[in-house]
Amino acid sequence: MDPVLRVEGLSKRYPRQSGLGSFQAVSDVSFELEPGGILGFLGPNGAGKTTTMKCILGLLAPSSGRIGVFGRPPASREARRRMGYIPENPDYEDSFTPEEYLSFFASMRHIPWSRGDSARMLGRVGLENWGRARIRRLSKGMRQKLSLALALQGSPELLVMDEPTGGFDPLARKEFRDMILEENARGAACFLSSHILSDIETICSRALILAGGRVVREGSMSELLSSQNRHRISYRKPGAGNAEELVELADLQAAIDRIRSSGGEIEAVGREILSLEEVFLSATSGGEAR
Amino acid sequence: MSTIRAFALMTLKGLTRRRTFWGIALVTLIALAGIGSIPSYDVTGEGRFMIDMGLFGIEIGSLLLAIGLASNMFPRDRESRSVMPLLAVPLSRTQYVLGRFAGAALVQTAAIMVWCACLGLILAVNGYYVPEAMLPASILLVAEGWFLLAVVLFFSFWTSPPLNAPLTLLLFIVCQMTPAQFSGLLPGAERVMEALRMLLPRMDVFHIKDPVAHRIPVPTAYFLLASVYGLAYTSFMLSLAIAVFRRRDLK
Repeated sequence: MDPVLRVEGLSKRYPRQSGLGSFQAVSDVSFELEPGGILGFLGPNGAGKTTTMKCILGLLAPSSGRIGVFGRPPASREARRRMGYIPENPDYEDSFTPEEYLSFFASMRHIPWSRGDSARMLGRVGLENWGRARIRRLSKGMRQKLSLALALQGSPELLVMDEPTGGFDPLARKEFRDMILEENARGAACFLSSHILSDIETICSRALILAGGRVVREGSMSELLSSQNRHRISYRKPGAGNAEELVELADLQAAIDRIRSSGGEIEAVGREILSLEEVFLSATSGGEAR
Repeated sequence: MSTIRAFALMTLKGLTRRRTFWGIALVTLIALAGIGSIPSYDVTGEGRFMIDMGLFGIEIGSLLLAIGLASNMFPRDRESRSVMPLLAVPLSRTQYVLGRFAGAALVQTAAIMVWCACLGLILAVNGYYVPEAMLPASILLVAEGWFLLAVVLFFSFWTSPPLNAPLTLLLFIVCQMTPAQFSGLLPGAERVMEALRMLLPRMDVFHIKDPVAHRIPVPTAYFLLASVYGLAYTSFMLSLAIAVFRRRDLK
């Protein structure tokens, strides 16, 4: 099956503000998002996440490399028709109402849309009582919910989300995660950039870590969270209770032999499971390449 | 086409809710009413002064409206990041420019027509004859207004709003003057002006204040040619705006 999103060797250089030389924001980034997948996109500030996202949306032209959204250029009508986007800190024309925005976006997407559809969509994102309120009266979190409603309009096959839970309270964040999982169960692929690692850990099937404009770690969540080097040995000590030992891969066999020679009974040997935060910090602080 | 229409309607609705629009529209109306209150200047007693000053006032109102409405449209969308979700739906950059222009042009056309109707009313209230050529005069003011709107929109993609206004104003002045009027300003200014006049439109084409004031009939062919001339320059400026915007990175 063709990937929903394919990024091959993406690089982007910006001219410096002084006009002298240029600055490499993203360098040789490649990845794919399969249909029905949820890909988490992580990286410290200035890593090149937003630049990559804007290239995927066709808002920036890559300096080199190729991007295919459903096999088409990102700025193509077909790619945009099948994609929903939630921007970071969205702002809208503040004299409009959420209902008006939904109606205008539906017209531009050529989706038949009624006031009932607006009420349903706004109810889904928790804005049921704010459909006719001016956007200037909405809080940051509410505007983010409006973005979600606009992105979900027309049941897109790909959701691109840039820090979508920035303005949400914990309850709204949980509702958001549930909604993304619902959309994913419907068949939508999701590309999610967030600094909230617990969100990524909870809902993403794969993750990609960017640092200094390069991909430094990529894989399924289980691959990323299981340590490549350290192993945990669980064993029963003779005449005592259970015990555990963490050893480096190079020392694994020696540790097993030592435990056995002292009469211990090995119960399990497995890779150490890390938290996403530990993986993120180790990948971004060392600049470790994939 | 329906995408542009939907986006133009969205633009129209947004612009008519801005204080800038109502401010300029009301100030121009008050200025027109002011012209109507000084009929003593009208030495001929035929309302010529009122027609002349009224049409000039409407032209200035149209220029201010073009700057007030269009100079901030794209910079505002970019600053607030609202341009990103817009361009992420199937709205191409060409459709964005055309939709924004069409929405603003509808607002400007409505304003010019209302101002011209008010000028007619002021003439009638003061007991003057409303010339038939008021309608072609107002349509040519609309053609000029659309060109100014396209100019402001073009500048808005590569300058800030504070720079957009003086640039548009400069272009407006240059397009009104003849090369000879620049001869005394700087050495060689006349030649520079001659070169510029070959590229820029002659805005005096749109001004039929004198025929209207003196009740001289305006030939239909002239009116049609002037309208087409205005539309051609508007299309040219819009094409430039689209070309600039399509090449622009939205950081």
